[in-house]
Parts: sequence; C-alpha cells; structure tokens
Amino acid sequence: MVRQSADMDSITIRHLRESIALLPAGDPGPAHEFYRRLFELAPEVRSLFKPEIGPQAKKFSDMLGWVIANLEHPDELQSQMRALGARHKGYGVQTDQYAPVGSALIWMFQRTLGDRFTPEMEEAWLEAYAFLSLEAERGSREGPPQS
Amino acid sequence: MPLNSAIVNQHLDQALSSPLFRNAERQSRFLRFVVDAALQTPEATIKEFDIGVAVYGRRSDYDPRTDPIVRVEAARLRARLREYYEVTPPERVRIDIPKGHYVPVFIQVGSGPPAQTPSDLSILVPPFRSLSTDPSDQNFCDGLTEEVVHKLAQDHRLRVITQSAAAWLEQGDGTRPHYLLEASVRRAGAEIRLTLHLTELTGMGSTYFSNIYQATVTDIFATQEKLAEEIRGDLSAALHMSKTGSSDMQ
Repeated sequence: MVRQSADMDSITIRHLRESIALLPAGDPGPAHEFYRRLFELAPEVRSLFKPEIGPQAKKFSDMLGWVIANLEHPDELQSQMRALGARHKGYGVQTDQYAPVGSALIWMFQRTLGDRFTPEMEEAWLEAYAFLSLEAERGSREGPPQS
Repeated sequence: MPLNSAIVNQHLDQALSSPLFRNAERQSRFLRFVVDAALQTPEATIKEFDIGVAVYGRRSDYDPRTDPIVRVEAARLRARLREYYEVTPPERVRIDIPKGHYVPVFIQVGSGPPAQTPSDLSILVPPFRSLSTDPSDQNFCDGLTEEVVHKLAQDHRLRVITQSAAAWLEQGDGTRPHYLLEASVRRAGAEIRLTLHLTELTGMGSTYFSNIYQATVTDIFATQEKLAEEIRGDLSAALHMSKTGSSDMQ
C-alpha cells in the first residue's frame, strides 16, 4: 500500500492550532454552522443524518479536537480516517461529497472568525483536509486498515 | 519525441480511468477542464471563478471569497495527483498543478535528453534584494536568503553556491552554474510580496520558473521559515522536472 504523507510542517500545524483556539470554547455554534452550510451546499446528504443535529455537531467538534491533538501522529490520523471512510461507504457517501464538507469547514471558520481567519490558516486547513479526505476515500475503496 | 496534445490527452485519459479518479467525477472534470484550457491556450490564466462556474455549477454571481469550493478541490486534486503518480509512475508525461495556480504544467519524463545526475545540478543564490529603503527590510531579505540556502542545501541533488552573482562571474573559472535564483521583496506594513525567478544559465538564459509569494509578517522567523519552505518545495519540483527531462509546453 502506498502511504500518503501528511507532510504538515510546523507552521501549518501552528496555523491549524491557532485557528481552533480562536473558536469559542464549548460553543456548539460553529459546528451547527458547519452542518447548516453543508446541507445548503449538498442537500442530498441531509438524509444521512438524524433529524436532531445537536449530537452530530458535538461529534464533529470532538473530531476537530482529535485531529488537532494528533497532527504530529499522521499514522493515527491515517488509520482513523480510513476507518471513517470505510463506514462512510456503508452509509452511501460518494467521493464527490467530500468537497462540500471541506467547503463547509472553511466557511465555518470564515463565518465564526471573520478577519481573524487568515489566508495562512485557510491554506493550512485546505492542506489538512486534502490529506484527511483522501485517506477517508482510501478507506472507502480499500476498507478499514488491518490491525 | 516532444510533448504534444495527443500525448497529454492520452495520459489524461489513462489517469482518469484509474481507480483514484474513476469515482471522483468532479475532480476528473476539474482536471480535464484545466488541461484542456492549458492545451488550447498555453499562455492563458485560469481563474478560480471560471472553474467554479464550469465544473462546480456555480452561478455567475458566485463569490470565490465566500465559497471556497474550488480551493478545497484544488488542494484535494493536487494530493490525488501525487498519490496517483506514487501508484503509477508516469512513462512519458506528468501533469502537475503548482500550488497557487490553476494552470497545469506538463512535464516530459522518460524520453527526454539524458538526465543529469543529481549532483550535476548547481544553483547560484545571490542575496535576495529588498526594494524598500528601510535597512530592516534588507535584514529580512538576508535572513530569508540564509533560510532558503539552508533548505536547498539539504537536498543532496543540489550544489548551492551562495556568493554574489558578480563575484561568481568575475571568478570566470569556466564552470557556469546551471541555475541562478533571484528574488526581490516589497513590503507594505506587515504584508510582504516576494517575486522569485529561477533562470537557466546553461541554455538560452531564459526564466525557467517564477512565482510570487505573499505573507503577513507576524513573526519574522516563522515567516522566513514558511516562505523558505514554500520556495524549497517549488524549486524541488521544478528542478526535478529538469532532472527527468524538459517540456516544451510549460
């Protein structure tokens, strides 16, 4: 298997962490904003989620925290994202649907942080999301990693 | 045989039929759109807006600043291409979309002129120039030059020459380096703009690679490191092209 390198340098990691630190702690608002935007961009994915989005928003916030905590552990990110991608396949998620997710993620930061979300932070999230989403796609194609 | 549209299109069809692209319909359309545009009008620029409208169905009043779909997908497409070439090393041509641009470059591989051995590549790096009169800006340029030289020197394929261009030429020992790397920096408040040119000295002296980098200086050392890393990455890609052959379609 060919591994995709996370290739995130210390500056990129710093921008990712700084942007997350700017989000209001414990506030579910940004995560709700993410899902609102996602369903606007890709209404067809709304049926993949339960009607009450609160618990899902909490999971999303937790996942962002987990990504940030594991930026120096690309193997862990890779393994978990592949497992997530394999589950997504079971839900019927299509490859093209990773695009609106990334778009909603950037939009969430833009809406929540305004000018404090710098172009460097956006670039860092674009890079990180490209890595994470392609690992999820691989999980969808090849199945979860063998432990 | 030099590159031509038929070779590029054949390679594109092959890539798009691979498992990595087969289920990624929008990314495939994105790649085909920019390749077609570059083949039809090599000197054309491709705008984020145009891709948004043509590939992602955005309306004519769409604002890329608030809708980052193309930037998200461009980052994913670059990563997908990297992964594709790791799985399927190209035989004749490789398609790259340099960061910061949407115009692809077509890099001939395999059938070009004999490859230079890595250690053959030498690059002359005079101090980067500040275009302002503030002495602290030249200090920033000097620090950035040091950082770039440091990063390039870690690549064992390169011999990095750091003395000034004038001193090098005066030396006149008959061994001309392959490339000259020059950069100038302009500054407006915390914003800096660096224009970089890599010139091929062994051929016609033409610009081989150029790019513009922008950054907001909040931490001088961090900004220098990040810029230097971006430059190193771009030069590494550009010089790898040279190592494997040349293209007449960039």
